[in-house]
Amino acid sequence: MTPDLSVEIAGIRFKNPILTASGTCGYGEELAEFFDLSLLGGIVTKSITAKSREGHPPPRTAETDAGMLNAIGLANVGVDRFIAEKLKFLEKYDTTVIVNVAGATEQEYVDICTRLADCPRANMVELNFSCPNVQRGMTIASNAELAEQTVRQVKKVFPRPVIAKLSPNVTNICEIASACEAGGADALSLINTLVGMAVDIETFRPRLTNNTGGLSGPAIKPVALAMVHKVYKSVKIPIIGIGGISNYKDVVEFLLCGAKAVQIGTALFVQPDAPVQIIKDLKKYLTKLKFGKVDELIGQLRTY
Amino acid sequence: MKKIVIETAKILSKKQWAPDLNLINLGPFSKAGIIKPGQFVHIKISDTDILFRRAFSVFDTDAKNDSLSILFKVFGRGTSRLAVLPKGAKVNIMGPLGNGFSFPRRKEMAVLAGGGIGLPPLYLLAKEMIERGYDRKRILIFYGGKTRRELIELNRLRGLGPKVICSTDDGSYGLQGFVSDAIRKLISGKSENYRIYACGPNGMLKAIDEMAREFKIPGQLSLEAPMPCGTGICLGCIVPLRAGGYSRVCREGPVYEIGEVLL
Repeated sequence: MTPDLSVEIAGIRFKNPILTASGTCGYGEELAEFFDLSLLGGIVTKSITAKSREGHPPPRTAETDAGMLNAIGLANVGVDRFIAEKLKFLEKYDTTVIVNVAGATEQEYVDICTRLADCPRANMVELNFSCPNVQRGMTIASNAELAEQTVRQVKKVFPRPVIAKLSPNVTNICEIASACEAGGADALSLINTLVGMAVDIETFRPRLTNNTGGLSGPAIKPVALAMVHKVYKSVKIPIIGIGGISNYKDVVEFLLCGAKAVQIGTALFVQPDAPVQIIKDLKKYLTKLKFGKVDELIGQLRTY
Repeated sequence: MKKIVIETAKILSKKQWAPDLNLINLGPFSKAGIIKPGQFVHIKISDTDILFRRAFSVFDTDAKNDSLSILFKVFGRGTSRLAVLPKGAKVNIMGPLGNGFSFPRRKEMAVLAGGGIGLPPLYLLAKEMIERGYDRKRILIFYGGKTRRELIELNRLRGLGPKVICSTDDGSYGLQGFVSDAIRKLISGKSENYRIYACGPNGMLKAIDEMAREFKIPGQLSLEAPMPCGTGICLGCIVPLRAGGYSRVCREGPVYEIGEVLL
């Protein structure tokens, strides 16, 4: 018998725990050239802001050891075009659509989510509290009170589940996680990128025009696992794990640490169809272990 | 049928022109026969800790054997590694990616300008034009490098038939000066309908772009940019457009019309 890969988060049934992470799958259009998006548990769109943004000037990405730095600067089409064109494109796929929302202020989050409330295809929203590349992006991410308040306001206008995406660039991630839970968040996703830097020793210049950027890729996986594990013990709401996942083994590690689902990010840049193989391998792994459901792995870490 | 494929191939043969200048032939790649001049492939070197693929403009294709070749200069970690891989080593190819050149009108005089390692798309363009029956005399190929050493695969290029005009910055071979200088000399005062195609270092592209606009010659440039994903998703390889905004080199490019990009 094939194992049941489905998981439930905030009343929504995901056909499997494999999602694509915001900023690494665009609005799905390019990925759809490589595989059927309906295979995915869910797709998390690129961050949407109230107005369209071009982002930072190039260079805005740099390869590092086992990772990448990016400072794209939330380049996106803005909420109006997103609803008219991009969300419409996603209509035809049978997968959970999670719209990632980024605001410069609490009010901007509320405004965007108000627009999305009327779009049933936006099954969930994920609040990007943690983009390290925009001026005020870190304020909400590192301020428990502000985070709680923002979630609470969004919950008032958005009728479906709300996920808060957490930054690792904080003193105590559990404090922010608990604040979001108190504000009414239905789930948490973590981690976003770690603030990092790369330097060109010929020109004495940072490799990004933004000077710093967000580090992602295999390099951050251990940090992400530790944070997922820590947050799992301190909140009751479900967790979606993110950070350097590129194969099924990485997925299992996150599930054992308490994540109910995961998001594949930077790996999509190298292997756009990576989720297809991961889902296949995860099934094989569960069969080998004689597990009937992927649920049976979640939080089963045997700590010392 | 899938337009872009991801396939594992092997290094079928390799030729080292200098320690840092390499030609490698890869296969099998099922889409080799449909690669257009100017398109690129994104190559992942297996079994390394190098995270991203590396983009290479396709130099030549062999539809019969499902193989393709790339020319590259050792520049960073990826190309250093690729240069030392032996014959038979596996690589993973994603492609074909990006947009190729548009072919000229039959009555136009096609000017193909390649600077150093920028030769590949122009070689393939010339080859396909001849296969499509274009008049060899209506194709002029300019090939430039810093020194003679950089003018690799010259015999293969000459073997295509059209006239090849070489230039080197130091005068060690052909005309002395930049490719753009050689072209300017040719087109000045002529009433021919030229169409220009160029690929090479940024300085060269900028000079050709300016000259083409000055003489009102249409044409296309093939750009190079570091590309994390190559598929249009990451938004890392952008260039500013003259009309405003940014364009993804991997997706809307790498081929752009003269004057389109703010170089």
